[in-house]
Amino acid sequence: MLKFVTLFISATILGCTYGLISLSYSLIYKSSGMMAFVNPDLMTWGAFLGFTFYTLMGLPYPIAVLLTCVVMFCMGFAIQKGVVRNLIKRNVTPMYITLTMFAMGYILQNLSQLIFGSVPRKFDSIIPGLKIQLAGIQVQPEAIICVGVSLLIMALLQFFMNKTKLGTAMRAASMDPMAAESVGVDVSLISGLSWGLSTTVIAAAGILCGPIYSVSMVLGANLGAKAFAGAVLGGYGNMIGAIIGGLAMGFIETFVSGYISSDYKSLIAYIVLILFLFVKPTGIMNERAIQDV
Amino acid sequence: MSAMLELEDFRYSYGGVHAVKGISLQINEGEIVTLIGANGAGKSTTMRTICGLTEPQGVQGKIVYKGKEIQKLSGHKITAMGLSHVIEGRHIFSKLTVDENLEMGAYLRKDTKNIKADKEEMYRLFPRLLERKTSLGSNLSGGEQQMLAIARAMMNHPKMILLDEPSLGLAPIIVTEVFKAIKRLNEQEGITIFFVEQNSKIALNSAQRGYVMQTGEIVISGSCTDLSNNEAVRKAYLGE
Repeated sequence: MLKFVTLFISATILGCTYGLISLSYSLIYKSSGMMAFVNPDLMTWGAFLGFTFYTLMGLPYPIAVLLTCVVMFCMGFAIQKGVVRNLIKRNVTPMYITLTMFAMGYILQNLSQLIFGSVPRKFDSIIPGLKIQLAGIQVQPEAIICVGVSLLIMALLQFFMNKTKLGTAMRAASMDPMAAESVGVDVSLISGLSWGLSTTVIAAAGILCGPIYSVSMVLGANLGAKAFAGAVLGGYGNMIGAIIGGLAMGFIETFVSGYISSDYKSLIAYIVLILFLFVKPTGIMNERAIQDV
Repeated sequence: MSAMLELEDFRYSYGGVHAVKGISLQINEGEIVTLIGANGAGKSTTMRTICGLTEPQGVQGKIVYKGKEIQKLSGHKITAMGLSHVIEGRHIFSKLTVDENLEMGAYLRKDTKNIKADKEEMYRLFPRLLERKTSLGSNLSGGEQQMLAIARAMMNHPKMILLDEPSLGLAPIIVTEVFKAIKRLNEQEGITIFFVEQNSKIALNSAQRGYVMQTGEIVISGSCTDLSNNEAVRKAYLGE
C-alpha cells in the first residue's frame, strides 16, 4: 500500500508535467495546425531561466515563475513572427516547417548548454524546512506546488480558450483563418499570441518540475517525446485529451517502473499507445487529428 | 448618390498569371449590384482582394471605399471600416456553435451590451438559425450555413456587404430564400450590396445593376433589365 501511494504521488507529478507539455503541443496545433517539436527545448529554457531568476539571482519563487513566463511568452511570439511566419510566407511545405522545429530545438538545446553548462543544476528548495506528510508518505512541498499550479494552469487555460473572446478568436483563427480575418480578427497577431501562450505553458512546466528533477540541457528532450505520445493518446489537438493523455503516460510509466522494471517503462508506454491507436485511432477525446488541418 | 466602393483600373496577378486585367466599377450607397461571369473570370479574386483576403503584392490600381484607398490594408482593418464579406463556400467556423459563430461576427464591436439583442434580431430574421442555435457549424445544412454566414457578417453592423457566390451548392428553393434575405437587408436595413453569382438569372432578377466579367475584364455593364434583354448576355449567361 505504501508503495502504491508513493508511486501514485510521483505518477501525478510526472503526469502533470507531461500534461502541460502535451497541452502546449495541442495549443499550437489548435492555433496553427503545426507540430511544435521545438517545445520541449523551450521547456528546458523555461527551467534554466527559472533557475537563473530563483537560485542565481535570489528572486522569490513566484516572481521567478512570473518573470520566466513573461520572457518565454515573448520568445514564443518572436519564434512565430521571426521564423514560422516567414516560412509560411515563402510557401514552405508544412513537413519542412516541422523539420525546422526540430532544428530550432537542437539550436536551443545547444545554446542552453553553451550558456548554462552541461552539469545538471539543482534548484534551491522553495520552502526550506517544510515537511509534508501525505497518507504516511513524506512529500516535497515542491511536488505539491508543481501539481497544484499545473492543475490551476490547465483549468485557467480551458476557461480562457472556451469562454473568453480572445480564446474563441484563437480557436476560430485555427479553424478558418480567412473567415477569422473577414470577421475582423487580426490573424497574424493572434497566431503570435497563440505561440506565446503555448511557450508560456511549457516554460511553466519547466520551472515547476525544475525543483523536483534537476535541470539539464536534455530535461525537455527527455520528457518531450513521452508528452507528445500523451498528446496523441488524448487526441492530438484536443486540450482535455492532452491533459488526460499526459497524465496517463505519467501513470503508465511510473507504475511500470515500480511494479515491473524501469527498463520497460518506455517500452510498455509506447506499446500501450500503439495498441490504443489500433482500437481508437482518434484518441481518447475523439479528435480527428492530422487530416483535419 | 455617392460612391460607396470604386475600383479604378484594378488589376490582380499572382505568379505571373493576370487574373484581373484592369477593371473599373462603381457601386453607390444603397445599391444592390451584381458581378456575373463564367468560372475563372476573376470574380472571386476581385471580391477577395477588395476585402483584403489576398496577398497585397498582387494588386495594382485603386480600390476606394468611402473615399479611402484600401488596396493595401489587411482584411481585419477593412472589416473594421464597415465592409463585410460573405466568402465563397460560406466558411463557417466548423467547431463553433451557431451562437458562437454569430458572436465571432461581433468580434470588433465594443458595445458588448447590444450584441445579445443583435443576435436575437438575427434569430428573428433567420428563424432556422434559432432552431440550430447550439449546433456546431459543421452540422448545418448548406442553406443554414449560408444564412449563418450572412447573419455573421451582419453582426458587425456593416455599411456594405460583399457576397461571393451565395447560391453555390444550394437547392433552388433555398437559393430563392437566400436571395430574399439579401434583398431584405438591402431594402430594410439600407445595406449596400455587391455580389458575385454564377447563377446569372437569379442575379439579374435580384440586383439593380450588373457587370459582366469575362477572362479578367468587364465586357458589358448596365441595369439588370438592360442586361437581361441584351442578346449577348442572354446567349452566354442565361442559356437562351
